[in-house]
Amino acid sequence: MATSVLIGAWVAAGLTLCMFSFLYKDNPFFRFGEHLYVGISMGYTIVRIYYDVMVKSLYAPVTQEGKWWFLIAAVLGLLVLTRFIPKISWLSRISFAVIVGFGSGVAIPRIISSNILQQVQGTLRPLLGNNGQSLFGMAQLNALLILTGVVTVLVYFFFSIEHKGPIRGMARIGIYFLMINFGAGFGYTVMARMSLLIGRFDDLILFGSREYGYASLVLLGMISFGLFMWERGRTRTEPPPD
Amino acid sequence: MRELAGKLLRMDRRVIFILIALATLIPLLRPIGFPIRISPEVKRVYDYIESLPPGSVFLLSLDFDPASKPELYPMAVALLNHAFKRDLRVIGMTLWVTGTGMAEKVVSGIANEYGKRRGVDYTFLGYSPGGTNVIINMGQDLAAAFPTDHYGERTADLPVMRGVTSLRQVNYVVSLAAGTPGVESWYVYGKEKYGFELGGGVTAVIAPGLYPFLDTGQINGLIGGLRGAAEYETLVGLKGKAVAGMDAQSATHFVIIGLIVLCNLFYFLTPRIGLRTLPGTRSGSSESR
Repeated sequence: MATSVLIGAWVAAGLTLCMFSFLYKDNPFFRFGEHLYVGISMGYTIVRIYYDVMVKSLYAPVTQEGKWWFLIAAVLGLLVLTRFIPKISWLSRISFAVIVGFGSGVAIPRIISSNILQQVQGTLRPLLGNNGQSLFGMAQLNALLILTGVVTVLVYFFFSIEHKGPIRGMARIGIYFLMINFGAGFGYTVMARMSLLIGRFDDLILFGSREYGYASLVLLGMISFGLFMWERGRTRTEPPPD
Repeated sequence: MRELAGKLLRMDRRVIFILIALATLIPLLRPIGFPIRISPEVKRVYDYIESLPPGSVFLLSLDFDPASKPELYPMAVALLNHAFKRDLRVIGMTLWVTGTGMAEKVVSGIANEYGKRRGVDYTFLGYSPGGTNVIINMGQDLAAAFPTDHYGERTADLPVMRGVTSLRQVNYVVSLAAGTPGVESWYVYGKEKYGFELGGGVTAVIAPGLYPFLDTGQINGLIGGLRGAAEYETLVGLKGKAVAGMDAQSATHFVIIGLIVLCNLFYFLTPRIGLRTLPGTRSGSSESR
């Protein structure tokens, strides 16, 4: 096995265990891993942006292909940085005006089309019969449930009239739909978090093998010992609680 | 009963961590082999790739970073295996700068396993800044959005890009996304305007939010979370990391469901036996907090 792979495995296993040590309590190992992660991801982003943006998308097109108009975008980008100089910070508003104007112009029609119009169409279409299908099938029942959910949740968030009488009843049904939605969302979130845990454990098991010099086991022992010593040092220096 | 409930309600949270750790670790070391049922939304992605003739253009956008690797990396592996098996022309790319290295590794790694040649059978375009604007740019002129690929070769000169000048010539796009920009961006700014077929593979956290797009046909299929990845691995006959992780996933879910049921049981029992005032519980006396 290549030395670089071996070193990578030890570093990965060590940092994973450092982060997991937070489950015991906040400690120096966790803080070390946390700060290292923030620093490395920022460093990696800067390097990639230098090559993929500054070199590939700006320097090369301007110098090799003569696309001088790319410099306009570069100047607009630089103007954002004037926020740090109070005297000329107003210049940054030019860039923000372009960003907001362009962003809104591009996004608004597309979002309305795909997130509102097509969703409304998709909600109603099965109820109106589709390609000669029966009007009373399971698809229609599902569509009816979705339509009920959409209408009652909208009623729940309609605050211009007081929620009493039939409106209160509909809003109540809307709450149940929202609760089901939150439950499904929570269930999926739990699944996602467990998947992340499985991913890390999978790597720890692999790095704990003989091939990798029992990296996970050795580092687990070292971090546990370190935590024990840290805890012992703390109890000696800190005054006992009342 | 009252004492037992009191003990459980006062239980140190670290006991729960240990339970979850064991529920994860044991099935990973000793797999049980729970059956994996294929859901229709995952099957649709598989069927669509199966229906593409060899030489069709398949664009895989790996819109995630290492933080979502356990869920989305197995999906990428399974999809790339499928695409290379079908002799599709594969174009890899990412809209997430922090995922560039990982994305390149998986695309070139699987391509090498199938003996595919870079630039001829596949390419990795890398990262281009602008998020959703990159999609619009690719729809107008792909070579303008990515003048060179990740390796510095001119995109327009690559044999794999023959006849592909914009997204209109791409037969199938799959976005593996952990957030924005991701599947929704590809639909809103790409598919609707440029008319390619779109599938999605996402983390479990964002999967529920994409089901409305699936129901309306705005995306043709959806692979959700590790579960979805395991289903796709099963479909392509791959014993990958997702299938291996499903037993652990099921076991942890059992533990969590058990704990939720237990806590609710005690919650409903407490008014009758006065447990809610026990020291150490949330509604207990202040000195115990």
